[in-house]
Amino acid sequence: MNVRPLEFRTARSTAEATALWAEVPDAYYLAGGTDLLIQMRLGRRSPARLIDLKRIPGLSAIEVRGDGALSIGACVPLGVIAAHPEVRARYPLLAECCLAVGSYPVRNRATMAGNVCNASPAADTAAALLALEAAVEASGPNGDVVLPLAGFFQGPGKTVLPAGALVTALVLPAKAAGCRGSFHRLSRRRGVDLATLGVLVGRHAAGGAGAHRVVLTAVAPTPLRVPAAEALLDRQGAAAAAQAAEAARAACKPIDDVRGTAQYRREMVGVLVARAAAALG
Amino acid sequence: MSDKPTRWVGTEVPRVDGLEKVTGAARYTGDLKFPRMLHAVVVRSPHAHARVRDVRLEQAARVPGVRAVACGKDFPFHVGIYLKDQTVFATDRVRYVGDPVAAVAAETPEAAREAAARVEVDYEPLPVILDVADGMAPGATLVHPDLGSYECVPWITPKGGSNVCNHLKVRKGDYEAALRRCAHVVERSFSVPQVQHVPIEGHISVARMDGAGKLEVYTSAQSPFTVRHLLSACFKLPHGDVRVVVPHVGGGFGGKAGINLEPIAAALAMKARGRWVRVLVDRSEEFYAVVVRQGLEATLVTGVDKQGKVLAQKLLYLWNCGGYGGYGVNVVRAAGYTCGGAYEFPNLWGDSIGVYTNRPVGSAYRGFGMQEIHWALEQQMTMVAQEIGMDPVEFRLRNCLGPGKSTVTGQVLDEHSGRIDLCIRKVAEELGWGDGRKEPNRGRGIACAVKAPAMPNDAASSVLLKFCEDGMLEVLISGIDIGQGLKTVAAQFAAEALDLPFDKVRVRGLPDTDLSPYDWQTVASRQTWATGNAVLRAAENCKQQLLGMASRAFDAPASRLRLANGTVLDPETGRSLPFERLVMGYQFDDGHTIGGPVAAAASFIPEGLIFLDPETSQSPKPVAKWTFGAQGVEVRVDPETGQFTVERIVGCYDVGKVVHPSLIRGQTYGGMIQGLGTGVMEELLLDPQTGRPRNASLTDYKIPTTEDIPEKLEAHFVETPQADGPLGARGVGEHTMIPTPAAISDALFDACGIRVTRMPITAEKVRAALQAKKKEQPTP
Ligand SMILES: Cc1cc2nc3c(=O)[nH]c(=O)nc-3n(C[C@H](O)[C@H](O)[C@H](O)COP(=O)(O)OP(=O)(O)OC[C@H]3O[C@@H](n4cnc5c(N)ncnc54)[C@H](O)[C@@H]3O)c2cc1C
Repeated sequence: MNVRPLEFRTARSTAEATALWAEVPDAYYLAGGTDLLIQMRLGRRSPARLIDLKRIPGLSAIEVRGDGALSIGACVPLGVIAAHPEVRARYPLLAECCLAVGSYPVRNRATMAGNVCNASPAADTAAALLALEAAVEASGPNGDVVLPLAGFFQGPGKTVLPAGALVTALVLPAKAAGCRGSFHRLSRRRGVDLATLGVLVGRHAAGGAGAHRVVLTAVAPTPLRVPAAEALLDRQGAAAAAQAAEAARAACKPIDDVRGTAQYRREMVGVLVARAAAALG
Repeated sequence: MSDKPTRWVGTEVPRVDGLEKVTGAARYTGDLKFPRMLHAVVVRSPHAHARVRDVRLEQAARVPGVRAVACGKDFPFHVGIYLKDQTVFATDRVRYVGDPVAAVAAETPEAAREAAARVEVDYEPLPVILDVADGMAPGATLVHPDLGSYECVPWITPKGGSNVCNHLKVRKGDYEAALRRCAHVVERSFSVPQVQHVPIEGHISVARMDGAGKLEVYTSAQSPFTVRHLLSACFKLPHGDVRVVVPHVGGGFGGKAGINLEPIAAALAMKARGRWVRVLVDRSEEFYAVVVRQGLEATLVTGVDKQGKVLAQKLLYLWNCGGYGGYGVNVVRAAGYTCGGAYEFPNLWGDSIGVYTNRPVGSAYRGFGMQEIHWALEQQMTMVAQEIGMDPVEFRLRNCLGPGKSTVTGQVLDEHSGRIDLCIRKVAEELGWGDGRKEPNRGRGIACAVKAPAMPNDAASSVLLKFCEDGMLEVLISGIDIGQGLKTVAAQFAAEALDLPFDKVRVRGLPDTDLSPYDWQTVASRQTWATGNAVLRAAENCKQQLLGMASRAFDAPASRLRLANGTVLDPETGRSLPFERLVMGYQFDDGHTIGGPVAAAASFIPEGLIFLDPETSQSPKPVAKWTFGAQGVEVRVDPETGQFTVERIVGCYDVGKVVHPSLIRGQTYGGMIQGLGTGVMEELLLDPQTGRPRNASLTDYKIPTTEDIPEKLEAHFVETPQADGPLGARGVGEHTMIPTPAAISDALFDACGIRVTRMPITAEKVRAALQAKKKEQPTP
């Protein structure tokens, strides 16, 4: 093993952060560190430099924008997001997914940007963010980018975020407000466990075409939206719960791992989608 | 034993080590900082089985800051508590992933890591055996080709030329003939995976050998004297030149019994004379590198008559001992002489066989094999009852042990042996057993437990009592308070026997083998009983010294005097003397002085134990005592997902005497939760080809959190006094986790008609069993 010194830098602006990143190879942004530090300890990542983002003014704010969209700064901890009145009133599914992560102390530290950038197929907040059609705003070496969450995840640990880009905020569009439903998650124990699988089923109040959302986690290389299941629910509502469940089962691509077998995951996708769809009433 | 009302024993005194633990004053081995302490890294085998052709340390030794390097060539010494089958570092082969091959010590952890990475090892991979069936197969690769030549205690029977490191045969009555008379016969197999202890504080040892050749070791261990004894034997040092000190311990659960990292720390310390060397394992290594609990494959055949009496019982326990059986061989033995659990089996054929594999090393773990065999036996009993249409509680009561009944070794129990029947009845009553209540997807189950201390016949404890000038009593014990509350219990017995105010007792329980009295080990649920007895004896001796002096001071017969709340009182004259006037000697008015500092040592060793017959394991008294108990469980199942919730666990144990109500409840609840963890979520998973651990982290090896604790935990106790117990008490620390998984499994059967026979009972297995059942009986 190569033992090399680790440099810790605190950035005071996004520009400083991206510049610090570009200076040396193997620089990593650090938010809550609840993924990164563990990966370092396991030897999966060995940064030469950690760039702490938590002192950058502006990254810790939750704001309603002029167009009604809700912007959540990259350094806001999950516990704060889940408790925020705008989030609870307009995006209750996001609050529910944030609360599914880890434990109270973990949520006081972990960020949603970190959850998304870490790109685990089991990332809980990804379920709501995909359902709510959120966008990732980032500031990179080649300027600022806005990336829709749809298509953001490319595989375990892989995203389309350009190298060195710094996520500044996750933005929930105004039109996604009022989407209601539920997030169901199976895990090996009740307290603090990664999902064996997760299922979110939601519906926009307006109803009609495009009203439903079906998102699965931990059953494919990335969190997965299932348009076929959504379309069935759009047409027939809860009456199509069983067909939607079948569509979700067909869409998922689970694997066997220490948390569960592919077969169990697939079956449970069916069970949970049917339940969540039925619960929409 | 007497029925005299007690003042301290049986009451809720505050935990004597509570304040230092909650304030952070308590220091653990990892808190100790020694001047110029070196940091060690152990090089561990990445192979489950391989020949070690060469170990080259030159490159490692050249790393700046490295002060010692060591490997098998340097210390080709065997170590092991019962079977000396392990060396400090692998010499010719490695036998599990994590087997220590070499170690380095350096000025900084970074330099040590760097050096460890430069240790060069030539491995020649060998076939990997992970399952007992493969280990037992004819012509199987031998994990220990030299097994026949290893040193071991006489009551362990390794079979050279095979992978069997111990085999206990239990033969009672005529099994074959009895089987032919049976109306029903049930045969089932069960299995238990290897699991880990997961103590909050991992293994850690710090050692130094000084210029004069004295070896000192500070270590997180359950057994300082056994560590000293085994270190002395390993490195051929006189016991008097080895000093072992055990600071506060953050949980052991058996994983810190016997000897663990200490020889590695000692070996490095010998190479870096005069320097302290610290060795520890990280959380990931803790899962596989030191010790785990053995796996079990069990096959049971039970024959019953029409009245529900078991006539014939056969048991085969195959233990997956992993790469070394130093300690695990005694689990095999204990499971043998307890093979019939809490039942009387007139005709029994039992085999408990330890098998070497290339898994992590099986060792002591709370329950010492008993949870594993009860997983099999208790489910089997329910299945047999169901087979003959009898209520499982009724069936248990009909077949259970009790006064006048004979155990599998032919020991006839007496009225002091404890009452399993009362425990079963209490739990059944609390669960409302037989009330006809049946709600969909809810179920109830009951399982029994029994365990004896599994230890050498001469396992002893001793204590030292001495007084301070102000009349305060100091109690020196060498049992370890690993959370069970031993120090508090020792203080209770001392205060009771000397009628002292409770705050006038200090227990010195961080043993130092240079200064503390001998104690074998803190294992086997033996400390309250063994140390408790020794404390009572030493207190009696101190009492006689105090009465003797007071008798001369008062010029009154000693027989008339008594102790009263820190004084000696002459009830006839009303005269009294506080202890502080006596404990350093009594001085008369004219200045002449008698007596002297009051102090006493005392010991306890179980008496009357007889070795097992080598062919049949029959013995009238193979163990010191038995503790019986039962647990009942209520579950609720979600049949679509297989997820289930254990809503309630009720336990009842015959503990002889409740010494401290909330400590014993804590032990009981803790055991239930640990039982729940092993029962429903714990399993050390290895890659089936390479034998490498797949879940060696808390991310993927789960133990229960507070959110997983059942809503209702209840503890009840029966107090049938133990003849040789201190005020009648017997041990219960381990027993509390023994029946839980079997009771959960029975409750699941009651809830939805499925049975999981391979621990842990995961939601996925429940769901699979439900699916299989559906296929068997398609709904019309
Ligand atoms: C005990 C425990 C339990 C957990 N349970 C769950 C769970 O139930 N569900 C779940 O989904 N996750 C869980 N996690 C994982 C983790 O907590 C989450 O993924 C968390 O949201 C990560 O956020 P963070 O701020 O800690 O990220 P960090 O660890 O700081 O960063 C994660 C990655 O994202 C990068 N990064 C962070 N911020 C930015 C940014 N602004 N721009 C660009 N890159 C960035 C980092 O460089 C790093 O590669 C758990 C972790 C722990 C330790």
